[in-house]
Amino acid sequence: MRINSASIQNWILPVAALAAWEILGRAGLLPRYLSTPSAILAALWEIALTGELFVALAASLYRVSVGFALGTAAGIVVGLGAGILPGVRHFFDPLVSFLYSIPKVTFLPIFLLLFGLGHASKIAIIAFSGFFPVFVASRHAVLSVDKLLLWAARNMGAPSWTIFFRVVIPAAAPQLFGGIRIGLAHAFVVLFAAELIGSKVGLGTIISYGEEWVRFDLMFAGIVCFAVFGFLSDRMLLAIRSRLLKGQMIGTEEEIVR
Amino acid sequence: MTAQTFAQARSLIGRWYSIPLLILVWQLTVASGLVESRLLPSPGRVWTALATEVGNGTLIYHASVTVSRALAGFLLAAFVGIPFAAAMGRSVLVRNLFEPIFFIGYPIPKIALFPVFTYIFGIGTPSKIAFTFLECLYPIVVTCYFGFRGVQTRLIWSAQNCGASRSIILRRVILPATMPSIFSGLRVALPVAIIVVVITEMIGDSIGLGYYITIWSTRFTFANVYAAIIVIGICGLALDQALLLLRHSAIYWQREEA
Repeated sequence: MRINSASIQNWILPVAALAAWEILGRAGLLPRYLSTPSAILAALWEIALTGELFVALAASLYRVSVGFALGTAAGIVVGLGAGILPGVRHFFDPLVSFLYSIPKVTFLPIFLLLFGLGHASKIAIIAFSGFFPVFVASRHAVLSVDKLLLWAARNMGAPSWTIFFRVVIPAAAPQLFGGIRIGLAHAFVVLFAAELIGSKVGLGTIISYGEEWVRFDLMFAGIVCFAVFGFLSDRMLLAIRSRLLKGQMIGTEEEIVR
Repeated sequence: MTAQTFAQARSLIGRWYSIPLLILVWQLTVASGLVESRLLPSPGRVWTALATEVGNGTLIYHASVTVSRALAGFLLAAFVGIPFAAAMGRSVLVRNLFEPIFFIGYPIPKIALFPVFTYIFGIGTPSKIAFTFLECLYPIVVTCYFGFRGVQTRLIWSAQNCGASRSIILRRVILPATMPSIFSGLRVALPVAIIVVVITEMIGDSIGLGYYITIWSTRFTFANVYAAIIVIGICGLALDQALLLLRHSAIYWQREEA
C-alpha cells in the first residue's frame, strides 16, 4: 500500500503536465510553436512511415557510437598509462589541465573545416570531447587504488601484468565508469550542436528542418527522439556497468538513481 | 644549494615540458607548410590576435557577456535548486512528486530543448539564461538531494535532545552537514553553465564568445578563433578557482581535499 501510493505520486506531475499541455493546446490557449503531444506523436509516425526517421537515427547513432568508442578507448588507454607511468603523466597532465576547462565544442568550426560536413567531423569532435572526462577519471582511479592491495599482490609474488588486470583494473573500474558516463553526456551535447550547426542528415537536422519549415510538430518529434536516444544510451551504459561491477555498487548513489 | 635549485628546475621542466614542446611542434608544423596556415595559424599569430583583441576590448566585451549569462543562469539554479533539494530530502511527498522528473530527466540530453527555449524567450540573453538555469538545475538538485538525505540521523537526534528548534537544526546541523555535497554539485554545474552558454551562442546570437568564434571562423580568420578559445579556457579556470576559494572559506573544517 505504501509503495503503491508512492508510485502514484511519482506519476502525478508528468501525467498532469502532459494532459494540461494537450488540453490547453487543443483549446488554442498555447502559442503555435508548442505543438500538442498528440500532434507530435502524429509527426513521429509520419517520419517513421517515410523512413526519414530511421535514416536520421542511423546517422546519429553511427556518429555517437564511433566517436564515443574512439574517445573512450583513447581516454582509458592514455589515462591508465598516465596513472601507472610517471613519464606519461607528466606529459599529459599540463595539456589536459589546460584543455579541460575549455568547452570542446568551441573547436567545432575548426573540425568542420578540417573534416567536412559529413560523419568524420562529428565523430572527431565527439571523440575529442569524450576523451577528457575518461582520461581524468582513469588517471585518478589508478592513482587512488589502495596501496595495501598492490603491496599484498606483490608480496604474494604476482607478476605486474596480473596485478594490472586483477588488482588495478577492478579497483579502478567504478571511477572509470563515472568518467565514461560524463563522456557519454558530453557526446550527446556535442552531437546536437554539430548536427544543428553543420550537417545534412541526423536527428539534430530534423529539429532544425522543422524550425525552418515552421513544422513545429516535426521539430518536437526530433527533440523527443533525441531525448529518448540519449536516455536509452545512458541506461544501456548503466546496465553494462551493473553487469561488470556486480557487488561493487551496493549502496552507491547510482543504485538509487535508477 | 645550487645542486638543489638545479634538481628543482629539472623536476619543473619534467612536469611542464609538454606545453612548450607542443607549441614548438605547432610552430614547426606551420613553418614547414604541412598544413594550410589559414586553418592552423602559427602560435605567434594567435598571440598577436589575442593581444590586439584583448587590447581593443572586443574579447573582453564578449567574454563579459558570456560569463555574466553563465553566472546568471548558474546562480539562479543554485538559489532555486538548493532549497528545492532540501525540500525533496526532508519531505516524502515532495520527494515522490519530483523524484521521477529529476532522476529520469537527469540523463536526457536537455540541449535538444534549446530551439523551444528560443521560441519562448527569444534569441537573446533571456533564452540563454533560462536554458543555463535548466541545465545547471539538474546536477545541483540531484547532488544536493543525496547530501540532504545522507545527513546522519544521530546528529539531528542529538541536536533535538539538546533542545534545538527546527530552524536552528536546519541552520547549524543540516546545512553544514550538506555543505560538501552542495559544493560538489555546484562544481559540476559551473562548467556546464559555460559550455551551454557558449554552445547556444554558437547556434544563434550576435554577442558573446560563442558568436565571436562562429563569426571569425566563417571569415576564415582562425587566429581569432583560437584566441577566443584561450579566453574561454581562462574564464572557466578563473570561475572554478573562485568556487574552490569560496568552498575553502565555507567549509573551513574540511580542508584536506581541494
